[in-house]
Amino acid sequence: MIELEHVSFAYGEQGPSVQDLSFRIEKGDFAAILGANGAGKTTTVRLIDGLLKPTSGRVLIDGADTATTKVSQRARRVGYLFQNPDRQICKNTVREEILFGLRTVRGDEGEDALNRRAEQVLEDFGFTGDEEPFSLSRGQRQRVALASILAVEPEVLILDEPTTGLDYRECCHIMDRIRRMNEEKQATVVMVCHDMEIVLDYARRALLMAGGRLVAEGPVPEIFRDTEKMEQASVLPPQIIGLGLRLGEGFEEAVTPEAMADAVLAWRKEGRRPE
Amino acid sequence: MNNLFQYVPGNSLIHRLNPVSKLLLTVVICIAAFITDHIAVLLALLALDVLIGVTAGIAGRTWSILRGLLKIAAFLFLLQVLLIRGGTPVFWIITDLGLLNAAKVVLRLTVVCLPLALVLAVTRISDLTNALVQVLHVPYRYAFTLATAIRFIPQFLEEMSGIMEAQTARGVAFDQARGLKKFSMILPLCAPLLISSVRRTDQTAVAAEVRGFALRTRASAYKRYPFTRVDNAAVVFCAALLAAAILI
Repeated sequence: MIELEHVSFAYGEQGPSVQDLSFRIEKGDFAAILGANGAGKTTTVRLIDGLLKPTSGRVLIDGADTATTKVSQRARRVGYLFQNPDRQICKNTVREEILFGLRTVRGDEGEDALNRRAEQVLEDFGFTGDEEPFSLSRGQRQRVALASILAVEPEVLILDEPTTGLDYRECCHIMDRIRRMNEEKQATVVMVCHDMEIVLDYARRALLMAGGRLVAEGPVPEIFRDTEKMEQASVLPPQIIGLGLRLGEGFEEAVTPEAMADAVLAWRKEGRRPE
Repeated sequence: MNNLFQYVPGNSLIHRLNPVSKLLLTVVICIAAFITDHIAVLLALLALDVLIGVTAGIAGRTWSILRGLLKIAAFLFLLQVLLIRGGTPVFWIITDLGLLNAAKVVLRLTVVCLPLALVLAVTRISDLTNALVQVLHVPYRYAFTLATAIRFIPQFLEEMSGIMEAQTARGVAFDQARGLKKFSMILPLCAPLLISSVRRTDQTAVAAEVRGFALRTRASAYKRYPFTRVDNAAVVFCAALLAAAILI
């Protein structure tokens, strides 16, 4: 479980980037942090991982204050996928890259076990293992970075804009694996994402930020339907939510094209038209 | 660390000097530091460096650079003192010649590095490029290369810091190691840094080409960089400084 208690943080002499943040993310939850550029989303996830230390307040992971332990010591339990995969990749082949992460945090399990695990992950992600990471496409490099993190099986997975710059198919590849990790291993996922369609499809809970403060939190569709708060945070909801809100009662609950189609068919059967 | 290479806006006498004059002053200080063999002259040059920093209104920045250099200087001093065996022993294996040479090496390093960092703090990179092209008639291609290399230093530092942060998050104990151990952990990260640097350089080259880099001539810059009386005085001062370093 991740807990933030009245956390504030400022970069140098600039004004505070996040102010008085307090929220809790339960174990096994899939939460998305939403907000416009400069809202403090990345700062928040960096605070959660301990890459930044709060200027006031506390960040707790399973009750342990992140300020009192080193980031590298938490790597076995907390995985962090950066927006730029090139900062994570440092080996000459995909296999070595995955093994590097495993050896760093699970070296005590023995080389055979790590090799088996690496092969399993390579197969799962569709790599032969001999590919040179830096000659792969941006999306594939992001998959390599994710594969090396998921191989470690962290209990908490922090994703900083994992789908930026990727095509929809690559986005789905990456997000499907993250969802599987969340559902099968009960990993807690905290994701910063600008793609609201992805958030609606994958996240269960949303934390809406504006000007470094938390303005709303709750189930994703509920937050998207709160037009006032969404406007305050300068975030546009996915089109399906906008459409449902425009069509009014009976359509608002539809968050997928299939559900929307069913709602429209139900109205037609009843011989009525949307308002 | 990244801020150490950033321009600090100001209207001081040093800021108003022609970029070429600033560069000349820097080069002359460096040459003087290598010509002289007297500690007193080196100390005077160091005082001049600090005076330039204070006059430019960047005493804080000057102190930060000095503090950064002190760490390297301390390491160099130790090496010199332990490795030079000539002269009269003062204590254990330390000799008077070792101490003298160590002091000179450390002072020379500081005297040379400080103005190089200060000139970047009081000169916009674009002004430096344009002045080199207009005043010294350096081909724009070379001036641009120099300016880009300087501009990339803070970006590379930021990139390296980002890479180290990402590796720390993966469990590499950068946040626990110190000294040589940390250095040995940094070495494998040179590959991703090199690759990202080459990529960035390539992107910059393409961006420059599509913006008409090849069409640029000496007359392209709208800003002029005339030599004023203060610049003439600076040139005379540089000549005097060089002469003093040779004669003393």
